[in-house]
Amino acid sequence: MLKWLKDLDRILRGEATNLEALREGRIEVPVVGLSFVILVLGLITGSCVGSFAVFRPRGPFFMQLLASTVKVPALFLLTLVVTFPSLYVFNALVGSRLTLLSLLRLLVAALGVTLAMLAAFGPIVAFFSVSTTSYPFMTLLNVLVFSIGGMLGLKFLLQTLHRLSLVSSDQPVFLPDNPPGPGTVPKPAGALDKVEGYTLGKQVRVVFRCWVVVFALVGAQMSWVLRPFIGDPNREFEWFRARESNFFQSVWYTFLSLFS
Amino acid sequence: MTAYFHRLDDLLRGHSAITQSGRVPRAALWLAAQVLVFGVAYGTAMGTFGGVLGERFWQVAYSAAKVPLLLLVTFCIGLPSFFVLNTLYGLRDDFGEAVRALLAAQAGMTLILASLAPFTMLWYASSADYVGATLFNGVMFAVATFSAQWLLRAFYRPLVQRQPRHRWLLRAWLAIYAFVAVQMAWVLRPFIGDPSQPVQFFRDDAWGNAYVVVANLIWETVRRW
Repeated sequence: MLKWLKDLDRILRGEATNLEALREGRIEVPVVGLSFVILVLGLITGSCVGSFAVFRPRGPFFMQLLASTVKVPALFLLTLVVTFPSLYVFNALVGSRLTLLSLLRLLVAALGVTLAMLAAFGPIVAFFSVSTTSYPFMTLLNVLVFSIGGMLGLKFLLQTLHRLSLVSSDQPVFLPDNPPGPGTVPKPAGALDKVEGYTLGKQVRVVFRCWVVVFALVGAQMSWVLRPFIGDPNREFEWFRARESNFFQSVWYTFLSLFS
Repeated sequence: MTAYFHRLDDLLRGHSAITQSGRVPRAALWLAAQVLVFGVAYGTAMGTFGGVLGERFWQVAYSAAKVPLLLLVTFCIGLPSFFVLNTLYGLRDDFGEAVRALLAAQAGMTLILASLAPFTMLWYASSADYVGATLFNGVMFAVATFSAQWLLRAFYRPLVQRQPRHRWLLRAWLAIYAFVAVQMAWVLRPFIGDPSQPVQFFRDDAWGNAYVVVANLIWETVRRW
């Protein structure tokens, strides 16, 4: 477990995805171990989201806590299951060199970034869950937190992809470890930093940009399908709600209800 | 004792020795201890509004506990996200110094607050109006918070010089911290203690939400307009 945590740390620090490490054309991360860490982080995030149900006025709903804890990892897994096949197919169609396994590694690493961020926001979410009775507020806070986590993860994905294309292109790669001249600011080699240089094929970039948008949309709607995560205090506990409405409409109405 | 006062003086002058020398955990603990000491000092003064005898003594004790609680618990809640953000943006190596800079600014803020406590006492001695006392304390907190921004900037300067990106992470931290602190302050009410109400640690209606209350207030005002 400790070794896998260190692997996640290497990804967060950007050590696993600097040009040196990517020279082989793939990210060296253990998929199984990292998936386990992601699962644990997902459970932590889920329990923080679900803690609202435990402290609500009509008495603790532990089933909701359990449901949320399980549902957050499921949300990410299912979103991946829905979007991964088409990503691989289009990625191969436009002639990218990423194999199935290296694509999976890339996505697992990006999910690791997202869930590390979400789990780190966990204490904030849990604190508001304990101290707040307003259901609409909690909904919006969770949407905000998940959006931030998701955006960072997808940014990581795009940057890493860009770096992968740098090392797999035939052009010589200038590693950024040359000593910087006097007066220049040393660039931090963070996981989210842009690396200058030749970019990969235009089509591959388009495919990934589209996929990032699709992933975000599918994730949002998947969270709607799997709802309730927080648990409306005025409704009974259910594992899943009826099929109705959609994520974006609901967020908009929730926002309006904050003012009434 | 002299050494202690010298160190406090360094803290107020924003000397980098406070954040850069010594071992990380010890220096951070010392700073957290200062938040505790001076927070308790101001909290004690703040709680004396309704008197100090009999049952009102507990209000003094509660207020004394609540000021450091507000600052330190908010700090701990926000720290994990700050840690991950720093790591992701490649600033992990500076994290220890960044945390000490933040803690030093907090310690400085409570020290400023404690130095304002005599004004608060004078105000209490001259007026028995509860709303006035609340507002006056609000002003004191505002003065301390804004003055502490100077300290924060001074302690962060070496970090920003090394890597300008620290400035953005500092802004992110301030946003996270303020977001949590507002709700924390709301939950921990009353800080002063209305003399016409019984002494209690939490209000009965404490489990609300500061932001929802503000949103409703704005909405009510707009509608009446």
